[in-house]
This record gives sequence, structure tokens and C-alpha cells, in this order.
Amino acid sequence: MTIPFSLYAGRESGLHPVHPLTRLTIAGFVLIAALLIPWTLGTYALFAGLLLPLAAWRRVAGLLLRAVFRFVFPFALSLFLIQGLFWTGGTPVVSLGPLSLKAEGLAFAAAMSGRILLIVSSFLLLAMTTRPDALMLALVQKGLPDQIAYIVLTTMQIVPRFQAKANTILDAQRSRGLETEGSLLRRIRGLLPLAIPLVLGSIVDIEERAIALEARAFSRQGEKTSLVDLPDSTFQRAFRWMLLGLTVALTVARLVSVLR
Amino acid sequence: MISVHNLSYKYPGYSRLVLNDISLEVQRGEFVGIVGPNGAGKSSLCYALAGFIPHFYCGSLKGTVEVAGKIIADTTLGELAGSVGMVVQNPFNQITGARFTVLEEVAFGLENLGIPRDQIVPRVEETLALVGLQGFEERSPFALSGGQQQRLAIASVIAMRPDVLILDEPTSQLDPVGTRDVFAALHSLTQTGMTTVVLVEHKLEWIASFATRVIAMVDAKILADGNPLEVLVDPHIQEVGVGATRYTQAARLAQRRGLIPQDRALPVTLKDTQRFFEEPSHD
Ligand SMILES: Nc1ncnc2c1ncn2[C@@H]1O[C@H](COP(=O)(O)OP(=O)(O)O)[C@@H](O)[C@H]1O
Ligand SMILES: [Mg+2]
Repeated sequence: MTIPFSLYAGRESGLHPVHPLTRLTIAGFVLIAALLIPWTLGTYALFAGLLLPLAAWRRVAGLLLRAVFRFVFPFALSLFLIQGLFWTGGTPVVSLGPLSLKAEGLAFAAAMSGRILLIVSSFLLLAMTTRPDALMLALVQKGLPDQIAYIVLTTMQIVPRFQAKANTILDAQRSRGLETEGSLLRRIRGLLPLAIPLVLGSIVDIEERAIALEARAFSRQGEKTSLVDLPDSTFQRAFRWMLLGLTVALTVARLVSVLR
Repeated sequence: MISVHNLSYKYPGYSRLVLNDISLEVQRGEFVGIVGPNGAGKSSLCYALAGFIPHFYCGSLKGTVEVAGKIIADTTLGELAGSVGMVVQNPFNQITGARFTVLEEVAFGLENLGIPRDQIVPRVEETLALVGLQGFEERSPFALSGGQQQRLAIASVIAMRPDVLILDEPTSQLDPVGTRDVFAALHSLTQTGMTTVVLVEHKLEWIASFATRVIAMVDAKILADGNPLEVLVDPHIQEVGVGATRYTQAARLAQRRGLIPQDRALPVTLKDTQRFFEEPSHD
């Protein structure tokens, strides 16, 4: 099964099911920590000591490292070069002719890269290990309105269909001599025959889909069940509260140190 | 099971009646086929039976509709969904998109009805087998062909086990094999005596073989209502554009050419037709 717009890798280990809210809390904690931890080494330690082992446990460590390499590495490299070379008035560490890398610039680049690494990889880890529908179900069970969960999940699936439909209409209009090239005005005029059927068609679609939802008892009041079971435990609940407390403590500590 | 009294309806902003003084009683376990030309009001009647008129489409409504012991006007769509199931005309928009796989899509209605988890999968599997979709459980509903999506839409509603099942042209995307599967599935549901089926269909041959009763609608009114053997060969029905089965057409032609005696009843199914042509003439 592939889920559009989703990075879910589908490698459930079966053992120790982790509740989606626990994963969300970990991702949230790491995200806040990435922004607030004042020590550069701390961010890398959190990546190597928490995220990587978690990824290995969920069997996505390779995937995660590859994605980090693709997204974070080029960015970090340019940070190191630009900040290192153009830091004004710093102490040079390496010099090559007129160019020199300054220590302060490198330190700044290392700190920034660490934060970006944490932010990106905490999101990637959550997305790779968690089915969006399971996360939505967990949130609905905690009081998120059904309708919001529905909108998120259905949008993920309908956007690709919308694109396909736009292409079909575009092909149809082109075959009837629609101008899709040429001057800007011409192209905008050409867009109308595309937009009108797409919009009108979508309004009809929405109406029919609303009927389909009603026919499936979506608006029924009363207890609903779910096909998916999301096992939770006292331990996980305690862990989530602890992480939440830690996040708050971190924020407060940071605020105090900034204000002083 | 269904009881309609003097039902009249106009869509909001329109002055034309699309349902004009309709009255109708259907008993539990009947298999009712609705036929009629485009624009006759067949879909609108379906909406009125399923509660989408007046709860979704407002407009002006007169008369009463009672289905499965519930007065439609006084019951919310959420409450009706377990008792009255409706498959609308276009299968593409019946996939809710609330779930990612075929199995989950069918399960969605059962989740909303609060069916216990351990009963959901067996019920979904049973229904998928009934419409010939076994093996597709893990596929994305959006990746299915038109015919498969139509089967899925039907399965999604059947799985909820409503007392009354209303289907608006449910075989439009299906080939003859698919059409036969769907009719056979609906037939088996009515055979249990628990489910009542109301079905709008243009394929008259299938109505002739499976429906226990046919209602012909024209111009917002019921023109004929009764046994398929009688309604489908009614010359009035053919005149107003409902047409006739190819069996009836062939038989009529044979009678007109003088090959078969005029007093012999016109056939609507293959078996009748054989009898029609094979029975020796008396003269
Ligand atoms: N949503 C709507 N709003 C206004 N008029 C409608 C709507 N749906 C159908 N109609 C009109 O109601 C009449 C009956 O349509 P319908 O019930 O769809 O007939 P059938 O299913 O027999 O083709 C048609 O004239 C149609 O144009
Ligand atoms: Mg119709």
C-alpha cells in the first residue's frame, strides 16, 4: 500500500507498538529542544543518542540517514563555507591564500546545522514510522473533531486526483485548439476553459461526496468504533507527561536565562 | 417497509415538480425496479426515500415518507444511515477518501455505526466476496477501475446491512458479468427476507429476471406499478421512452408479421421467449 504525500515506510516491527501520540510527543519535544538547547554538542548528541537509536529500532535508520544526507547535508555544507569564509573579524583556523575559515563562523554554522538536523530528522522519523490515519485516529480519540481528521486524510488522496483531472481537461481543451502557449494575456484567457469545468465539476463532486459520507453514517451521533486498535499503556502515558514536563521546563529555563 | 403518501417535491429555486403526488407501499423483502426516461424523477424519488430530500436538498416537500418504521422528515440522516442504505448514481464520488484501502473504506461505515471491532473484518470480507472484490482488500480505492469502484460503492453500503437498500443505476460502469454479479448479490439479500431492495435501472432484461415488481416513472409521476411481466410489456411504457426488453421487441415484431398469434402474452426473459416462440400455433 502506498499513501500519497506520505513518507510512511510501512515497516511495522510488530513488537512494542508505540502509540502515535507518544511518537508525536517525541517529535514535538525534539523540535522544541532543537530551537532552545544552547549547546551545539547537545543537538548532535540528541540526534545520535535519541533519534538514531529510535530509527534503528523502527528499522528506518538507513532511510533516515539517506534523507538527512539529501536534505540537510547540502545546506550544512553551504553554511560552513559561507559563514566560515565571510565571518567578519574572526580568528582564522585554516588559510589558503587570501581565503581563510574563521573559528567563530564555523561554530555558528555548526550550531545552526545541528538545529536544522534535529528539526528535519524528528519530522522525518515521525512521518516514516507513523501512518497518517493512525495519527489522526489517535488525535480524534483525544477530542480532535472527526471532520478535521477527514479533511486531512481525504485531501492527501484527492489532490493527486484533482491534478489528474486538470490534466484531462487541459488535454481535452488543447485538442479543441486551446492556446496554452504564447503571450501572458493569451494564456490567462486560455486558462478559463480549464478552470471553469474544474471548479464546477469539483462543486458537484463535493456535493456527491457529502451525500456519500452521510450514507456511511458519518454524522451519526453516539459511540463509534475503529478497525485499527492503538494500544496505549500507563508507561507510555507517563512517558508523554514526562516529555511534556521536560519541554515546559526547557522553555522556562531558556526564557529565564534570556531575560537575565 | 416503505410507505409514501401523496409525495410532491420541488428543488429549491425551481418551480417544476420533480415528484408529483407519488404514493407507494413496499413490503419487506420486495425487489422493486424503477424504470423511466431521463429526467423522470427516479433519482429524486431515491433521495426522498433515503432522506437526502429534505435533509440535504431542501426545497418544498408535501406528503409523508416512512421507511423502516421511521418518518423520514423527523429523522436525521445520521440516524437513518443504519436503516436505509443508498448507493448514488456516480460511483467515483462515493469513495469517501476517509481511508486508504478498499478494506478500510468498506469498514468506515461499520466504524461509524459502532460495530464492534472483531465483527468488522469478517463482515467486510463477506461483503467484498459478495460483490466479487475479494483480493482487492489492500488496494487504494482510487486506483480501482470504474467498474471496481462501483462494486466497492455497493459493498460499502451493503456491509452496513440496512433494512432498505436503495440503488440508483448501480451497474452503469459494469459489463454484463459485473451486472449479473450485482443483481445476484441483491437477489440473495432479498431472499433472506430481511432486506428490501429498490433499484433504478435502464437494463430492462435484468429487471425482468430479478425484480419482483416494477414501477415505471414518467414526468414526475408513477405511470405503471406491478408485476414485471405485465408492466414491461405495456405498450404505454414503450411509447413514453422506457423502451422494452429485446425479448419483448423481438416477440412484438414476430406478432406484427403474423408469425405468432396475437393473443399470446409477450415475454420479458429468455425463458419466456423460448416458450413464446416454441409453443405450436393452434391454427
Ligand atoms: N439538484 C438538483 N437541483 C435542481 N434540479 C434538479 C436537481 N437534480 C435533478 N433536478 C431536476 O429534476 C428532474 C428529475 O431529475 P432526476 O430525479 O435526476 O431524474 P432521473 O433520475 O429520472 O433522470 C430533472 O428535470 C432534473 O433536471
Ligand atoms: Mg437519475
